[in-house]
Amino acid sequence: MEREHLKLVIVGHVDHGKSTLIGRLFFDTDSLPKEKIEEVKQICEALGKELEFAYVMDHLEEERSQGITIDTAQTFFKTEKRDYVIIDAPGHREFTKNMITGASQAEAAILIVDASEGVREQTRRHAYILGMLGLKQVIVAVNKMDLVDYSENVFNEVSKQTTDFLERIGIAPTYIIPISAKEGDNVAKASDRMKWYTGPTILQALDTFKKTEKRDENPLRFAVQDVYNIDGKRIIVGRVEAGTLRVGDNIIVLPTGEETTVETIEEFLKEDVKEAPSGKSTGITVADKLFIDRGHILYRKGEKAPHLLKEIKGNIFWMSKEPLVVGEKVVFKCSTQELPCTVKAIEKRIDSSTLEIIEENAEKLENREVGEVVLSFSTEVIVDDFNSTPDLGRFVIEKNYNISGGGIITHLER
Amino acid sequence: MITVIAIDALEYNLVEEFNMRNLKQEYYGKTDISEFSEPRTMVLWSSFMTGENKEEEILAKGDKEMWNTRIPHEETFFSHFENPFILDLPGYNYDLEQHERERRLLKEFFMEKDEEKKREIRKKYNENAFAHHRKIKERFLEALEGEYDFILGYFSVADVIGHLNFGNRMMMKMIYRDLDEIVSQVEGKKIVLSDHGMKAVGVFGDHSEYGFWSTNFKELGRPKITDFKSIILSETK
Amino acid sequence: MDYLDELESKSIYIIREAYKQFKDIAALWSIGKDSTTLVWLIRKAFYGKVPFPVVHIDTSYKFEEIYEFRDKWAKKWNLKLIVGRNEEAIKAGMGPHMGKLQCCTALKTEALKMTIDKYGFKALLLGIRRDEHGIRAKERYFSPRNREFQWNYKDQPPELWDQYKSKQEGEEHIRVHPLLHWTELDIWQYIKRENIPVVELYFAKNGKRYRSIGCKPCCSPIPSDADTIDKIIEELKTTNISERAGRAQDKERAYMMQKLRALGYM
Repeated sequence: MEREHLKLVIVGHVDHGKSTLIGRLFFDTDSLPKEKIEEVKQICEALGKELEFAYVMDHLEEERSQGITIDTAQTFFKTEKRDYVIIDAPGHREFTKNMITGASQAEAAILIVDASEGVREQTRRHAYILGMLGLKQVIVAVNKMDLVDYSENVFNEVSKQTTDFLERIGIAPTYIIPISAKEGDNVAKASDRMKWYTGPTILQALDTFKKTEKRDENPLRFAVQDVYNIDGKRIIVGRVEAGTLRVGDNIIVLPTGEETTVETIEEFLKEDVKEAPSGKSTGITVADKLFIDRGHILYRKGEKAPHLLKEIKGNIFWMSKEPLVVGEKVVFKCSTQELPCTVKAIEKRIDSSTLEIIEENAEKLENREVGEVVLSFSTEVIVDDFNSTPDLGRFVIEKNYNISGGGIITHLER
Repeated sequence: MITVIAIDALEYNLVEEFNMRNLKQEYYGKTDISEFSEPRTMVLWSSFMTGENKEEEILAKGDKEMWNTRIPHEETFFSHFENPFILDLPGYNYDLEQHERERRLLKEFFMEKDEEKKREIRKKYNENAFAHHRKIKERFLEALEGEYDFILGYFSVADVIGHLNFGNRMMMKMIYRDLDEIVSQVEGKKIVLSDHGMKAVGVFGDHSEYGFWSTNFKELGRPKITDFKSIILSETK
Repeated sequence: MDYLDELESKSIYIIREAYKQFKDIAALWSIGKDSTTLVWLIRKAFYGKVPFPVVHIDTSYKFEEIYEFRDKWAKKWNLKLIVGRNEEAIKAGMGPHMGKLQCCTALKTEALKMTIDKYGFKALLLGIRRDEHGIRAKERYFSPRNREFQWNYKDQPPELWDQYKSKQEGEEHIRVHPLLHWTELDIWQYIKRENIPVVELYFAKNGKRYRSIGCKPCCSPIPSDADTIDKIIEELKTTNISERAGRAQDKERAYMMQKLRALGYM
């Protein structure tokens, strides 16, 4: 039986203990090569230092940067239930783009907050990004409890502070756990120094999380990527973004609105494929010779149709040194659609580190700011509710050929 | 008052890669040791303390005797100070026995054919170097509390460990981090100086053809090791 | 879909995106397990009709088995194979004895540059994985390089939700990494499931096998009894040996002794 993998991202303010927690998770689950730890331990002893997990992680990072092949054991840690793949997401504000790139692939997140420092600039920004990425499985780890004498009061204060602001951005953390990554409290083992806490450890909490929901049962959405002519066959290739595509399905092509039937599902070296589940990159042939091209979306007749809109409203996280300016034309990319749009309005401009509104009806959105924006199109764009079909409910904005912003559509009605 | 942290084989490129802020201080760069035929430890430190190129003189002693060099106090710029503290400096007052033991184990390592025994020798060699380093570090930190008008601490760990382990980035990084911490505990004007750097030969380390310098008070450009005598004396006048 | 299906679907999606954007594209095939898996996925993406060339950079120092494998499967799979060689340097006697770095630069990097120039490729598909490379979070699926193959990783645009950087005039070329999210173990499990052929050198013979293959003089086998894919998978799952083994250490030792003598240490 193949083991399940869950992709996990750990974020938080710099120095709040991210790499120590990663080291502790690896260590306590026996996922680190013994001789590596032994090696680091020996050098620590030789230098008269205490062993810190950060050193072990540093060691692995060094080896990786030297191009030394890393054993597979080091890229994930295991519990009895499944394997966890840790996706790297750097904390510094200069690396926000890398953080987003990493976190956008995660299925669950740990937001780490230093008990002695509380919520800081990056805590807020990272939390906002988790929300924007649609991550619902979030653990808040209140770390460095050893520095505050494992005090319940401090924990309560920090949790309140954290949940207060998470609430404002629409995140309800699944768990809030007091830990000491350095000492190992409540990471893999329940702490006997915090008897007042009766909730799960980090590992127990992680094991309750689910793999990204399968969307096989949702209304069908097939995004056309390209059309190939293979041995006289016209194969429409693309990805099932939601639902399950089946041979014989009556489908409607958007934006043209034409109807046809799925004749075959084409996969290399496979015959008689009957269906393609959500997430599958595949190809189909259809009964009628219709105009079908990249950016078209197919859905099943009789099911809920996607929306065709000339104007959308969404929340954008901007991540380019060149600002987004009202009135300018930028490129809108959503699933396989790519079309020009005009920035009609920036209704709110928000500081991602404080989450305060800087300005209403702003002219510009600067680097690392969040905006509620209205975008307008000259032709109709095919979009959907983010929760049912994430791939049609989120988009990126390209400016000067570079991805400069990512956003979620918030209003489908015009 | 000025403190010199003399670090054998501190490599410019590694300081940069590991981004060791205290080792770098405000101003840092490479020294020019191209006047010497080979980057030899004893030659370089002897030239440093006298402000003169001592290559010919030291080499004339032969490979064995050269390690026993003791330059008289009056010939060094240390004699310009009333109460200097010089710790374990080669060519002046370093622990002959300790450093000879290092060289002996190094030789044993390379002469040994048996892999198992080699491992044992390497272990002993490393342990010996680290033990010495811990001792030197302690004495240096103590000296910082003392009433001296000049302090120089010499740290051999990066060189000694480097020769057999330079390819072990973890070990080197931990050592650099430790040295970085030592520098961070020094107050006032300070100079970090190495005789030469180090480059990797597989897992081993060979001397590189430049040294490292850094200060917290002055840009030095690309100084020669013999320039430091006048730099230090003019800063303390 | 199971885990391997997910990996596969994402890679095929990226391959198709790359081809949609760049018609002047080629895949780099080192004949190793990763790039052979990449070629396999490309075949899947295009239903066996690979629409662009597959480039093998030949240093002339490769294992015999590599050349045999290349020619056999390039023919069977009907690939447009381009072999890139820096003939001038090979004739001049360039080899690892002149310095590993110099050798790699001349016979790999330069040869690749020459091939790119000759055919005018705007994009290259490569089989690199995140778990084998440093600075992991920094690598992207679509990664622009300049003329000197340099990569400005400090300021690259983000990549999210399967949206990749668009083509830009004046950019030298883009590297596309469809296998970025795979691990070494994933590759082997997929090879097993799909029955993908790999060079025999990966399998143990007389207690040794190669974990990665390339040029003969610079590769050394690791001790292993894994002579089947199943055993390799088992080995990867259980062992913790880092792969610093072998590697021409004797030469280094001899050189080091000589240097230490010159410095007066021995």
